[in-house]
Amino acid sequence: MSSNVSADLIWEISRNTNSYLVKRTHGGAPQFSRDPLNLVNLNSRKNAGFVNDKAVGIAPGEKGSVVVTSKKSGSITKPSAVSTVTYGANKTTRKTYKNVASQVGKSGYRPDLLQAAVARASAVRASQRPAKPDQEKKLRGNAAKRAAQA
Amino acid sequence: MASRPTVTIIGADGKATGATEVLPKVFSAPIRPDIVKHVHTGMAKNKRQPYSVSEKAGHQTSAESWGTGRAVARIPRVSGGGTHRAGQAAFGNMCRSGRMFAPTKIWRKWHVKVNQGQKRFATASALAASAVAPLLMARGHQVATVPEVPLVIDSAAFGPAEKTSIALGLLKAVGAGADVEKAKASKKLRAGKGKLRGRRHRQRRGPLVVYSAETDGKDLVKGFRNIPGVETCPVDALNLLQLAPGGHLGRFIVWTSSAIKELDSVYDSKKGFFLPSNVVSQSDLTRLINSSEIQSVLRAPKGEARTKRGAVQKKNPLKNKQVLLRQNPYAATYAKEGLGSQKASEGKPKTLPEAFKKLLDE
Repeated sequence: MSSNVSADLIWEISRNTNSYLVKRTHGGAPQFSRDPLNLVNLNSRKNAGFVNDKAVGIAPGEKGSVVVTSKKSGSITKPSAVSTVTYGANKTTRKTYKNVASQVGKSGYRPDLLQAAVARASAVRASQRPAKPDQEKKLRGNAAKRAAQA
Repeated sequence: MASRPTVTIIGADGKATGATEVLPKVFSAPIRPDIVKHVHTGMAKNKRQPYSVSEKAGHQTSAESWGTGRAVARIPRVSGGGTHRAGQAAFGNMCRSGRMFAPTKIWRKWHVKVNQGQKRFATASALAASAVAPLLMARGHQVATVPEVPLVIDSAAFGPAEKTSIALGLLKAVGAGADVEKAKASKKLRAGKGKLRGRRHRQRRGPLVVYSAETDGKDLVKGFRNIPGVETCPVDALNLLQLAPGGHLGRFIVWTSSAIKELDSVYDSKKGFFLPSNVVSQSDLTRLINSSEIQSVLRAPKGEARTKRGAVQKKNPLKNKQVLLRQNPYAATYAKEGLGSQKASEGKPKTLPEAFKKLLDE
């Protein structure tokens, strides 16, 4: 692409108006992002996936796996240029985190997003665990016990 | 001159035909949201129809003020009797059935003149933005399946697109289906009175199909006109209101190959207009800072390279002698001379004299 566009320019144009932006008026008026390539769901220059030339998205996959999406170079004119890798179907979380970390950070793709990527992968894995059933409530007081017996 | 960027031409099946086209110069125009916004604000006002309240509204009564001395306000009051209306205040904007404050007039200034040079600048800017995928996404277009922007499709594929089913199939084949679906599903009933005034529904904008009226002909317009959200536009009459709806940059445009071929000549034919050029030729800040030109003129950083230790474990100076010495250099001498145990070396304290004890017990 010609040099009239850069991630810096795109960010300045779209930081206040973009389709992913979610503005809240309460609770300190945080600015969230619905961008699938945003690891922490915050509207910021570092985390804005649609702006940066390199970005990572992490989503749940099948069988407890984690799907890592990352942008390929030249994505500024080729919106479909993304690569998708699935990690850890039926594997331990430790292996999943290791794979995510090596893809995002250790290979030099986006080292600044390493921690956020592992944290999100962890959150995704936690969400895939079956929910624990609520504990049965203990009967409190004699009146309740007598009522239960009757 | 370095080779100019090219764009792939995509066939009716959504695959690259192998042919490419040099990207028209207008796509390297500066992207200026401020200018586009300003021009859009003016242009959007030029299709308005005048409206106003009736000239007579609130004045169709023969009310007169009662004057002072009647213990009521001096506002004009409706004359006569035999009806509730008699004696009620009239005319004023604060009155029931009075006229409004500053009644609207049809001779309000409805239209805004926008200079042609500005309009052309804004159009060029909007076109350049339409070739930047992140800006399309920021506008809300579903372009994740689009192979390349600007999306150029072989003009031959538009031949049979006179039929809507074929036109829709073409859009789906080239990856624009998701955006069409989004526009179609977005149709909502408008809030408020606009419903009664010919603006019953509101919906998202889908792709804009730009064609060459000369080569492609106008038949394809018929094919696309009934697809919700999809608009068509001839390349020699590009309209900013379509290129940047709402003043927001990044409309998703589907070009026919002959339209993109014609685009350069469209701009060449505009007398006295030169395509705007960028003030700064490199807009990537990181590359600017890291360029050898900048780095070579920077002075070396002052001071030594030192890392601030952030969250290190706190050591207990009572147990760790080195940490203690760092905090209190006197501690070495203090320990060496045994100043802390001076009293202990003096031996047991002397017992009190018998006489003093007696004195105490008295």
